[in-house]
Amino acid sequence: MTDAALPDAAVGGTSWHGQATRRPAGSGRKRARRANLLTYTVLIVVAAIILVPLVATALGGFKTLGGLRANPFGLPTEWIWSNYWDILASARYWRMLGNSLIIATLTVSLVLATASMAAFTFAHLRFFGSGFLLNYFLIGLMFPAATAILPIFIRIRDLGLLDSYFGVVLPQAAFGLGLSVPLMRNYFKSMPHELFDAAFVDGCGYAQYFWHVTLPLARPILATVGTVSFVSSWNNYLLPLILLNTETRYPWPLGIMVYQGEFGTDWQLILAFVTLTILPTIIVFFAAQKHIVAGLTSGAVKG
Amino acid sequence: MSLAARLRPAGGATIGRRRGTLSTARRQFGVAPVVFLFLPPALLLFTVFVVLPIGEAGWYSLFNWNGYGAPTEFVGLHNYELLWRTPVFFTALTNNLLIIAVSILVQIPLALCLATLVSNRIAGAVTFRLIFFLPYVLADVAAGLIWRFVYDGDYGLVAAAASLVGVQAPYLLAERGLAIYAILVVVVWKYFGFHMMLFVAGLQTIDPSYYEAAEIDGATRFQKFRSITLPLLAPTLRLSVFFSVIGSLQLFDLVMPMTGGGPSNSSQTMVTFLYSFGITRMRIGFGSAIGVVLFAICVLFAFGYKRTLMRHD
Amino acid sequence: MGQSRLRVSATSASRSFCGAALALLLGVASLLAGSQVVRAETTVKWLYIETNPAIIQYWKDIIGKFEQAHPGVKIETQFLENEAYKAKLPTLLQSSDPPHIFYSWAGGVLHAQVDSGVLKDITAEMGKADAGKSWGDSYNKAALKAFTYKGKIWGVPNNLSEIDFYYNKKLFQKAGVDATKIATWSDFLGAVKALKAAGITPIAVGGADKWPVHFYWVYLAIRQGGLQGFQDALAGKNGGFAGPNFVKAGEAFKQLADLSPFQPGYLAAKWPAFAGTFGDGRAAMVLAFSATTANLQRLNAADQKGIPLEDLGLLHFPTLEGGTGLPTDTMGGINGWLLGKNAPPEAVEFLRFLTNAENQRELAARNLQIPAAKGAPQAVTDPLLKIAAQSLAASTYHQNFYDQDLGPAVGRVVNDATTDLASGATTPLAAAQQIQDAWAQEH
Repeated sequence: MTDAALPDAAVGGTSWHGQATRRPAGSGRKRARRANLLTYTVLIVVAAIILVPLVATALGGFKTLGGLRANPFGLPTEWIWSNYWDILASARYWRMLGNSLIIATLTVSLVLATASMAAFTFAHLRFFGSGFLLNYFLIGLMFPAATAILPIFIRIRDLGLLDSYFGVVLPQAAFGLGLSVPLMRNYFKSMPHELFDAAFVDGCGYAQYFWHVTLPLARPILATVGTVSFVSSWNNYLLPLILLNTETRYPWPLGIMVYQGEFGTDWQLILAFVTLTILPTIIVFFAAQKHIVAGLTSGAVKG
Repeated sequence: MSLAARLRPAGGATIGRRRGTLSTARRQFGVAPVVFLFLPPALLLFTVFVVLPIGEAGWYSLFNWNGYGAPTEFVGLHNYELLWRTPVFFTALTNNLLIIAVSILVQIPLALCLATLVSNRIAGAVTFRLIFFLPYVLADVAAGLIWRFVYDGDYGLVAAAASLVGVQAPYLLAERGLAIYAILVVVVWKYFGFHMMLFVAGLQTIDPSYYEAAEIDGATRFQKFRSITLPLLAPTLRLSVFFSVIGSLQLFDLVMPMTGGGPSNSSQTMVTFLYSFGITRMRIGFGSAIGVVLFAICVLFAFGYKRTLMRHD
Repeated sequence: MGQSRLRVSATSASRSFCGAALALLLGVASLLAGSQVVRAETTVKWLYIETNPAIIQYWKDIIGKFEQAHPGVKIETQFLENEAYKAKLPTLLQSSDPPHIFYSWAGGVLHAQVDSGVLKDITAEMGKADAGKSWGDSYNKAALKAFTYKGKIWGVPNNLSEIDFYYNKKLFQKAGVDATKIATWSDFLGAVKALKAAGITPIAVGGADKWPVHFYWVYLAIRQGGLQGFQDALAGKNGGFAGPNFVKAGEAFKQLADLSPFQPGYLAAKWPAFAGTFGDGRAAMVLAFSATTANLQRLNAADQKGIPLEDLGLLHFPTLEGGTGLPTDTMGGINGWLLGKNAPPEAVEFLRFLTNAENQRELAARNLQIPAAKGAPQAVTDPLLKIAAQSLAASTYHQNFYDQDLGPAVGRVVNDATTDLASGATTPLAAAQQIQDAWAQEH
């Protein structure tokens, strides 16, 4: 199997579009065609199971409540555009997405900055306790934030950060370190040490090396870690639920639950709202799918 | 040497050479400033928000405390004793075990099966992969709400299906015995795509020449799968199981919109249990005890698993 | 090649690092922007759970009038759904920026809040005389008492509510049930059986929220043991909440539950959704609040029209044979507004305005709620609401909802236990014991 250049470490990334598996020629063709039909049937059924709830949700947003009751499955008899339009025109919708964006961006920045610096230290330097400290970060991978949510709440409260963006960003970033630091450290360590030696011969210090050599070459792993952190922050519900109080600061997962609580019986509105809030995710996913899938899966493999 | 092995930190002979380089550098540039500048931010952040909290959880679990001010009422292990006597705790544990079982026994085989189907160069393979992966990128909360709609006995797809057949629609999420199973379906729906992608990547690292050799020897598809695919995919499978278990133990966002832990606490998971009984009732001590138990389970599993099954990965 | 590549990569790397730094700066900026903007204006933060748009509009009008009369003061409202509110309030009150005004059902939850030191003591303001009468005097005595704890006043009463059965006259007719003939629990069970026989779902209830279910059990306990029974339980006498009165209540409730009288899927139904079920005519009765029922059954019905008011009937909770409770004992809420410890004086002023005699009379006249101000309930015009208001005025013992009265932890146990009882997951004795255990734990 051909290797990509070293920096392209994402396993998912290199073989994204697949290696051709050579099929036996000739007599197997008829069997292959029947197998193909079965394959496609299975694939289409599964794809339908995935898509039907999503499509029904989107369509449901166009119906009236009565219409939804009579016809949950199919196309709306009359298309009520106002359900969607009212939400798009409301400040609340954009505010929620904005909050999510701010929180996610801050989280990613914090994770990338702190993890890369720490990982660099572990990758290149041996000092007293470095082995222990590297394993120390692995603790973060072992248990979910939920187990410590109460003490985290109390700490954030005592720091006066309750109901602020940073109150959510800091714990999120902290838990992200469990994956990021070992991941980046492995990556940095695998970079060819000829660069390192050459740089030192040229009189380059550690910090300069970090800035000018490590980071530029680490783009793939930064992308990976960034993607994982971003997606995880974007979709986070429990932490904001506990740590945020003012509705104007709610990220969208919290926002849709509040909306659902407020309009509990108006399913058509809720469906429209949910559709609009997952739409950014879906759009970005399809637009940047190569990077997102590679990021999320290779992050897992390497970690 | 495979790509994966090359990316692992080098051992043996290279260390000595690197050590030599390091000591030269150390003499010239000083390790200390870097260590003291680069390491503390991450260390501080991690310690304050991950390590200390779990320690504090242990501490708070020894008190009867409603969260205001400072804990004053020391009760020792009473919260744990109470936990042991609370039936909902065992329901939550059982539910989590159920989710783990389904994840391993249903979700992973399903993901593997589909991975084998879509890793070939068939038309539309990429599109199918994307569609299968899509639920994974959606937030759990959104997925939960969507499926709440699907399961609704009045407005949902379940209602539509039932009326097509002409029966009274069951309210799946309102049935004490069925709610957790309804949730299990959603868990599989949401996560199988992720595992499938892992397997697709894993399958693509398998050298096709192995299969060709087996073909020549006259192996059937099943034999090829059992003797080539499975063993070579084993590391990825082990990884999948690891993620399944840790992920299953954390399930919260998916359950809340659908049942909130009900009906009658029948669909509680450890985290929803922690939330309902610890946070909303402001019993920080009790909630912390639940957190500590969950932590112990996670850590025991992670250590045990890494030690026994993932020793060579 | 290596060098130039490094240099090019260095610029893009420094760019991405700068990008990260910029993002951090943006974050700090937005954090500062998001935090309290100190202007000459005072903002009063008001948190409520009301879903009735008529009431919200009424409040908006009042806010408008107040802001006009007090330039420089802005009232900012926030809504939280009922259950989410109960879940979030404890954490909300601990933040450095808690709401200034928020909703309360008084009871043990209020006591817990007072003990935690998160509330503002308004005894002084309440005692201040104004035109010969103190502010506190303008309220129904029982209502003010509900917000008094440890000798101090902590809240401003807003309204009272009574829980009764509301029934669909047409459906009753169809099943041949005469509501005027229902006086005892056996009568009631008979009516339920008749409704079932006619193919009508007898009762709509909200098993997801659980507190609508606990109403039944509490009322039965009230009918069985009365005020004395409750006070004894609080004091731990007679077996406390596991005593014979409460077990009997559970058994009576089980009799009802065994008839499967609730709407399909009731364990997943929330308030006010099940009011809509009632409004759709899919159930004959609902045990719910005085004013809100008429409004919310209409609003939550699929056609937004619901049951016309002339087809709506009110039935007081039947008496329990062998019980010592009086038929004039009532269950319901005493609701009001609490103030956070750091609420500005303008918040107190606003509450005074919100609940003054004129506004409270208006509340009654519009048939929105039964107000807590003295004399105001007389302005009610809606016949059913009038019945409830009069019943409240004549009440011999008004019991607050247990899930609020007994405090946050025990309250939730009551909800869980009674809902389990309804779905057959537990027995009357076990349910009562659970509640007693929870109570003993806290006391």
